[in-house]
Amino acid sequence: MSGSYDGFGRVSRRIGKLFRGVLFASTLAGILTLAVLLVYVANDAFQPLTADPGWHLVFLLTLVVPTLATGWLSYRRSYGTLATGLLGIVMPGIAALYAGGLAALFIDVIPTLVWLSFVIALAIPAGVIVALRRTDRSVPFLAELSAVLGVTVGSLLVVPGLVQGLPTVPADWMVLVLTLGLPEAFLLGRWIEGRWGRRDGWIAGAAILVGSAVGGVVGMVSGFGAVPGVALTLFALVPTGLYAAIVVRERPDRRIGLLLPAVIVVGMVAGELLVGALGFAGPESWVDWSFLTSTTQSGDPRSVGIYSGIVGTILLMFVVAAIAVPAGVGAAVYLEEYAPNTRFTRIIDVNISNLAGVPSVVYGLLGLGLFVRYGGQPTGTLLVGGATLALLVFPIVIISAREAIRAVPDSARQASYGMGATRWQTVKNVVLPRAFPGILTGTILALSRAIGETAPLLVIGAAQVFGVPDSWTSTIGAMPLQLYVWASTYASPAFYTTVLAAGIVVLLTAMLSMNSIAIYVRNHYEQR
Amino acid sequence: MSNADQSTDVSEGSSGDEYAVSVPEGRGRDRDADGAASTIIESRDLSVWYNDNQALQSVSMEIPEKRVTAMVGPSGCGKSTYLRSINRMNDLIDAARVEGEMLFNGKNVYDDDVDPVALRRRIGMVFQQPNPFPKSIYDNVAYGLRLQDRTENLDEKVEEALRKAALWDEVKDQLDESGLDLSGGQQQRLCIARAIAVDPEVVLMDEPASALDPVATSKIEDLIDEMAEEYTVVIVTHNMQQAARISDKTAVFLTGGELVEFDDTEKVFENPENDRVEDYITGKFG
Repeated sequence: MSGSYDGFGRVSRRIGKLFRGVLFASTLAGILTLAVLLVYVANDAFQPLTADPGWHLVFLLTLVVPTLATGWLSYRRSYGTLATGLLGIVMPGIAALYAGGLAALFIDVIPTLVWLSFVIALAIPAGVIVALRRTDRSVPFLAELSAVLGVTVGSLLVVPGLVQGLPTVPADWMVLVLTLGLPEAFLLGRWIEGRWGRRDGWIAGAAILVGSAVGGVVGMVSGFGAVPGVALTLFALVPTGLYAAIVVRERPDRRIGLLLPAVIVVGMVAGELLVGALGFAGPESWVDWSFLTSTTQSGDPRSVGIYSGIVGTILLMFVVAAIAVPAGVGAAVYLEEYAPNTRFTRIIDVNISNLAGVPSVVYGLLGLGLFVRYGGQPTGTLLVGGATLALLVFPIVIISAREAIRAVPDSARQASYGMGATRWQTVKNVVLPRAFPGILTGTILALSRAIGETAPLLVIGAAQVFGVPDSWTSTIGAMPLQLYVWASTYASPAFYTTVLAAGIVVLLTAMLSMNSIAIYVRNHYEQR
Repeated sequence: MSNADQSTDVSEGSSGDEYAVSVPEGRGRDRDADGAASTIIESRDLSVWYNDNQALQSVSMEIPEKRVTAMVGPSGCGKSTYLRSINRMNDLIDAARVEGEMLFNGKNVYDDDVDPVALRRRIGMVFQQPNPFPKSIYDNVAYGLRLQDRTENLDEKVEEALRKAALWDEVKDQLDESGLDLSGGQQQRLCIARAIAVDPEVVLMDEPASALDPVATSKIEDLIDEMAEEYTVVIVTHNMQQAARISDKTAVFLTGGELVEFDDTEKVFENPENDRVEDYITGKFG
């Protein structure tokens, strides 16, 4: 070899570059299409262009500019500061959404007195269990179990009737303060006591209790409603206040981030006042209070509302969660922790994955056959709809729960077994606590899949229901069904660009809020 | 692999004909003066299979009470398998199958009337990787006591176990903090405290220091030395010097799950009977 450099030559990358370009284009195409569609829907739903230019200007100055400026300042300080601020505005928003849903539940479906009677009926056996634990441990297990079961059944049979027959009936807000405010005050008080000390725990507990009562009374007097007053206090105001307190006390470096939610709230109020004073008309949004609270169904888009769909969806989710979560998590624990590795369990394994991919209309037919034909239930009821959707998400819950359980390191189980723990003790003390965040995330994602399902509900005959359900066996609608009806029965160009868009916005908001909770839970526990 | 393992390999490998491992003289526990200690664990022709692979070949040995017994040997020689067959942790592996007898206080633990869970409450275990629960330090130590409903005077028992594990002074002000916030060496001592809190008769240790740095390792070794006053300690280690430093008896397993030498530590390291053992401990192979 002469040793002189005669060039390495070049290797062609033309095909590679082409391939990369195609991949980029297809990615962009998908995301852009979706984005354009969502913008279209949002435009139809909120009609921002119908507002006065002055209205836009006012909110630009009072809300948008200050928000962006505060956000930028927070971000300059640290990413965590901005995240604190964003969470400070998103969390109360989502909490208020769910508090509203809960209030709707108590207003329309569950009379507060019935609720109170069952809470008392279940509190009695709970008290018996605590008393048995505290006192004599030498009670034989079977005697203890049968005593608890006996008290539970007896109390459920007798107490509700007694309570509902009381001569004087407590007001709605009193019942909610007693049944929801008291437990929340106790639990959060205990939690704060462990975090900041005894005095703060007591103060917080008392504040929660008094606050919820005040919320109820204020709601009643102001005409907003006693039930929403209590619900919003307990499930939106209290968590928000707690969040702010935690940030102020424990993250002084991020304290400044709380400015962002404050600026947004002040900006909205100031903008609203200014617009009113200056006489600028706002947009003729289709997502407004009457749309959210009206149950009317007609050919006139002006009078149509989605309220019955919202309530139906909330109730369906309760039934789905109550059926699918215990069964799915139970199956997951069995398959991961107990099942021997046999051909039978391997067949089950494969089939669960297959079940998760079965088209939803098949589940609808299954529900129809199982619950209506054989079970003798009427079509389209809350229970049948919930049970059918539960069948649908059951495999999804199993799969995600199994993944969470499998992610618990084996060394943790070994440590427990090595200490002489039984399988049950290991599952209870080690596996489930560590898998809990993952199970919760998977469950929420499964529910958010169920929330948008239409086909199974159509099949079981819930297609043309517009009333608000008032019991577990009344027929029920749901948000996606509502959209389906508007897009088919009342199909007209006027509907497409008005209430249909508004309905889509409501449905997507509910779904995205659930997903964001799931993502938050996952990220929060991954950092640990 | 940890520092401890590497340092062993280097010193053994470079030592040529000289013995790299020496047994220290004059330690706290007098090896011969006590005479023969009584046997607490005895295996008779114990064989273990994982599916069709035989991991232990008819091992017979007697482990003395309140002594430290070390098991050494190359990877895959079955020393961990032997350790885990004492408290029946191998039961948790579907593929494992055991033949022969493992006597604990004269009773075969593989008899049908022995409950492995009850057995493990009397034979504690410490693992290679420190594995505290993601609970507070206090709850970690109290775990075993709570499992057994032995919750009277819990505070004192927890303190006593942490003192015995030489951890009390370091953590007494942070008992409510997570056990996972401790350093690796502290975590391992927490695991030892957790194991001895229930007052077991035997503590099994599966390479307890191999994931730790030299300083933490030496603390664990000091601790093991003290533990032998009260407990029978059986320890698996890769580290020859560690076995020589801390154990009274040494068992050498070689590839294939064969126990080739079992005797007083001094004898094994200074005058082994088996040529293969001599080759192994002088670093000619393994």
